[in-house]
Amino acid sequence: MAKEGNEDEMVGYRQQPGKLPFAKPGSGGKERFSRPTDEGLIPESQGGELAQPWGSHRHDNLVSGQVIGKPTALVDGRWKVTGQAQYGDDIRLPGELIARIIRSPHHYARVLSIDCSKAFELPGVVAIATGADAANKFGVLPVTKDEHAMAVDKVRHVGDLVACVAAEDEATAREAERLIEVEYEILDSIHDMRDGLKNNEYPIHDRGKYHIGNTNVQKRVFQEFGDVDGIKTNAIASHKENWLFAGVNHAATEPHAVVAHWDPSGRLTLYTPQQVPHYVHRALADVLEIPMHQINVHRTFVGGGFGGKSDPFPHEMCSAILARKSGRPVRITFDREEVYWINRGRHPSRIEMNLHADDKGRICGIETDALIDGGGFASFGHVTTYYNGVLHTAPYEIEAFHYTGARVWTNKPASGAMRGHGAVNSRCAVETGLDDLAEQLSVDPIDLRLANLLPPHSATITGFRVTSIGMRECLERVKEESCWDEKFRKMPLGKGIGIGCGFFISGSGLPIHWDPNKFPHATVHLKIDMDGGVTVHTGAAEIGQGSDTVVAQSVAEVLGLPLDMIRIRSRESDTAPVDLGSYSSRVTFMNANAAISAAMQIRDELLDATVEITGADREKLVIGDRRIFAKNDPAVGVSYLEALHKAQEDRGALVASGAYRTPPMGRVHKGAAAGLAPAYSFSAYVAEVSVDVETGQTKVDKVWAAHDCGKALNPLAVKGQIIGSCHMGMGQVLSEEMRYGRNGHLMNPDLLDYKIPSVHEMPEIIPIIVESNDPEGPFGAKEAGEGPLLPILPAVCNAVYDAVGVRTAELPITPDRLLRLIERKCKTEGIDDQLDLQSPRLAHSELQAVLAARAEEHSKRDLERRMNDDREPYHNGALFGLDPTTPPDEVDERWAVNVIPSDDYLAEPRLAGNAWKHTERRHRGDS
Amino acid sequence: MVQHRLPMLPSAGDVPWVASVNGVEKQLNIENNAILLDVLRDQAGSLGTKRGCDMGTCGCCSVLVNGEPRLSCLTLAAEAEDCEITTVEGLAEGHHLHPIQAMFTECGGSQCGFCTPGFLVVTSALLEENPSPSDEEIKCAIEGNLCRCTGYQQIVDSVRAASEILTSGESVADSTSPKSDPHPGFSRE
Ligand code: FES
Ligand code: FES
Repeated sequence: MAKEGNEDEMVGYRQQPGKLPFAKPGSGGKERFSRPTDEGLIPESQGGELAQPWGSHRHDNLVSGQVIGKPTALVDGRWKVTGQAQYGDDIRLPGELIARIIRSPHHYARVLSIDCSKAFELPGVVAIATGADAANKFGVLPVTKDEHAMAVDKVRHVGDLVACVAAEDEATAREAERLIEVEYEILDSIHDMRDGLKNNEYPIHDRGKYHIGNTNVQKRVFQEFGDVDGIKTNAIASHKENWLFAGVNHAATEPHAVVAHWDPSGRLTLYTPQQVPHYVHRALADVLEIPMHQINVHRTFVGGGFGGKSDPFPHEMCSAILARKSGRPVRITFDREEVYWINRGRHPSRIEMNLHADDKGRICGIETDALIDGGGFASFGHVTTYYNGVLHTAPYEIEAFHYTGARVWTNKPASGAMRGHGAVNSRCAVETGLDDLAEQLSVDPIDLRLANLLPPHSATITGFRVTSIGMRECLERVKEESCWDEKFRKMPLGKGIGIGCGFFISGSGLPIHWDPNKFPHATVHLKIDMDGGVTVHTGAAEIGQGSDTVVAQSVAEVLGLPLDMIRIRSRESDTAPVDLGSYSSRVTFMNANAAISAAMQIRDELLDATVEITGADREKLVIGDRRIFAKNDPAVGVSYLEALHKAQEDRGALVASGAYRTPPMGRVHKGAAAGLAPAYSFSAYVAEVSVDVETGQTKVDKVWAAHDCGKALNPLAVKGQIIGSCHMGMGQVLSEEMRYGRNGHLMNPDLLDYKIPSVHEMPEIIPIIVESNDPEGPFGAKEAGEGPLLPILPAVCNAVYDAVGVRTAELPITPDRLLRLIERKCKTEGIDDQLDLQSPRLAHSELQAVLAARAEEHSKRDLERRMNDDREPYHNGALFGLDPTTPPDEVDERWAVNVIPSDDYLAEPRLAGNAWKHTERRHRGDS
Repeated sequence: MVQHRLPMLPSAGDVPWVASVNGVEKQLNIENNAILLDVLRDQAGSLGTKRGCDMGTCGCCSVLVNGEPRLSCLTLAAEAEDCEITTVEGLAEGHHLHPIQAMFTECGGSQCGFCTPGFLVVTSALLEENPSPSDEEIKCAIEGNLCRCTGYQQIVDSVRAASEILTSGESVADSTSPKSDPHPGFSRE
């Protein structure tokens, strides 16, 4: 690099080849400089070669070209491939006892008595606990704590915990399980979620004065935004569908397991494969009635989470209680069947979806009604109820949004959070609805979408602030790469192609337990000592998604170090600062941001030290590979270790703490915080399928999967997440289903009958990464863990329609279901042989040209908005003639938010809307 | 409720059992109805062998018995008596990972890693038999293993990459060997 002037020359000292002023180990060795920085990873804005079609980013100057953006192996990968990774059941402490859980064989019953005497007589039985040992309730959300460690009074589903026993070995524990005699009084159970809306003699839970009538409604939501009354007059095409979604389970390969150990000082260490160790920490303190500081939650390796390990669980409480009673470590490992009893999978749902389009091909209304089946406990359900509505208000601009949602308790294993939390089912309904609208309007469904997208840096109808949007690019890329125009509505019978989009939060804006304006969402600590390695303390839970790797990458990048100099300590609550855990796709966004801010402090100190040694101009210093040097004259500079040791003089190890807080966002109506996020991810998939018209068997052949993750910090992991999401979504759309028999009994609690796709069912997946460079994301990144799941379901449904011309409204699309639909279609059309069916065809209407022109125009608008930093605000509603710079409810009262149903609505409510027919007890004046 | 593991049959007490686990001869006393997976995990110290379902559906518990992949949860320990058993811990040579191990980390074949030991032993047996399998052959070899994280695509990529290394005769680096230069790299000029 050419020298400019001489101001940097020979100021302080210059490093000379082989002539270091002092030789420290690792200060440069025989090499003069370290590896040259890879210019391809340095952004254009910093003089590098990395193109930035989405503009520059506030972290650009921190990029040292080390690891960000390179496909990177997981930092804990070697533990996993050598068998040395310790998962829950691999924690073996000396003197351990094995515990088993006694579970209810009844759907709903009162526990009258528990007789443990016979079990106690069995040699080898050490401790037994029942509900009497843990009176306090817990639950993941502070507003809905409705769980006990073991049944107090009632059991609420088959498999609900009644008691637990710890013994010297597993055989004894299982034998003791048999010997514990429980007397039940069976109550009438409910299994159909629709019954949950009715008054009931014994509601499954009693919320006192907050209880809604005598029903089993746990949560109800009513929301109207925009011109809902105008829908009827504006619409020229309407879609209506009643969906039935089966419940699905995460089916992580590792069954839940836990080890509890009270050490001699009276502190509890709980070893557990948890996604959210901090909430367990709180729940343990509640249940065991000890202060939080007396507990250390140790997260083991997690053998797959997907939301299934994100609640504080009763078995975790049981192991701690038994360990306390026995004075010995206690290990509990689930059988596969027990995983289904604890469940927390996706809610079985009944969703009524109404979509309306006007004569300009705009979406003039979405009306959704979602009844979701929560099973026996609340879990995350409060949030799920909102998410079923609010998470499909984007990426499209809409004129009116109506949502009624209700979650009911039934006597099933509890539903909870699962990858794509609350958004998956209603997204599937919206996207298939759009396909139908396009069909009715005789336009291309991709063009319909392209002409109705919100621009970057805008706000949705619900008031969510949306920053970067790569939706348009996602759609354009999949359209092109799949050769959409040659295939759509043009393929022979039995072959089809379909589109689906997605929109998901990148970290929930509201921490569950505290005020986001006061406390951070994530905190990261760094420590660097003489050896130069960086120890990162973080509470973010590595569950296989690569969170440790992303944090290590972020720190390495900012400090210009190779990845092997970073070590992550993220296991124990004793050493890790509080982090909310791995859910709501928050880790990369929040935790990497916290890590960057911590690393920036260290970087500052290193730069100061460099200035002190070299006297160089601080502004001109950059960090390369283990070296800090003047950009215009690389010979002026010091090695990382020299700078570090200088900085350590008089004080020892460098430490820093960085934190991330969400900016203030959103509106103020009831429920406004649900679905708020500092950024959102977008995705569009095209799926190509083959349907055997004679058997109804569907096979997905190929998927083009474009996901806007802001910036792929680790492209290898992002692709892994996209492909893995496809796998899970394909399972839900084609084969996975928790099947309940006529008497409400779960019929398939095992991996043989609960069918997750094997390698042979998997199509070829082409992951396409779109990088929209989010202004607030770490180096521009957003989430990639959950959003990629959403589009695959509707893409497959739409492709099936393209192939055989029938729309399913019940998932999974098993061969028998699809065949019935095909046969019905043949019958109504008077066709004898299924092979004579006609698959749908498309002749464009005039509207097609209107849409194409609008899409073109919007594309320019979007480009301008994303590149230009002082852009005007843009609110949903502008497409319908409102002033984009003012929130719609301020310009027109028809757009005001309404969260209470009117009497008119209540006269004829939709299904979930019926929940509003009941009055909360406190308002009834009878309690 | 169904119990998948019914170890309750009367056992004739401890019976001696000998087998070679990862090249080391193990002499253990086991129950006559002991399942190989339990013996490996609880007595032979192979916690790398995972239990995902205990009923032959997930493949996490796969091990090699005389070089053949077996589901250890469906195998009586007695059936493997006097056999050579290889678990995931037996694949590496010291710190030289087996290429299949190295590639599972490099190519994204392992996310949460719980299924990984099963996939590794099964595919290492495949590569032993057929050092350059086609994608279809790789898929057939792993059809009995479930993975919930990766969607299998990067697993197939990993096996393909390992096969390339194996056929080229290269070996994988040892992460513990001394580094001649604490700052490996090259000079700028
Ligand atoms: S544990 Fe053996 S196949 Fe699942
Ligand atoms: S990597 Fe998690 S199950 Fe395969």
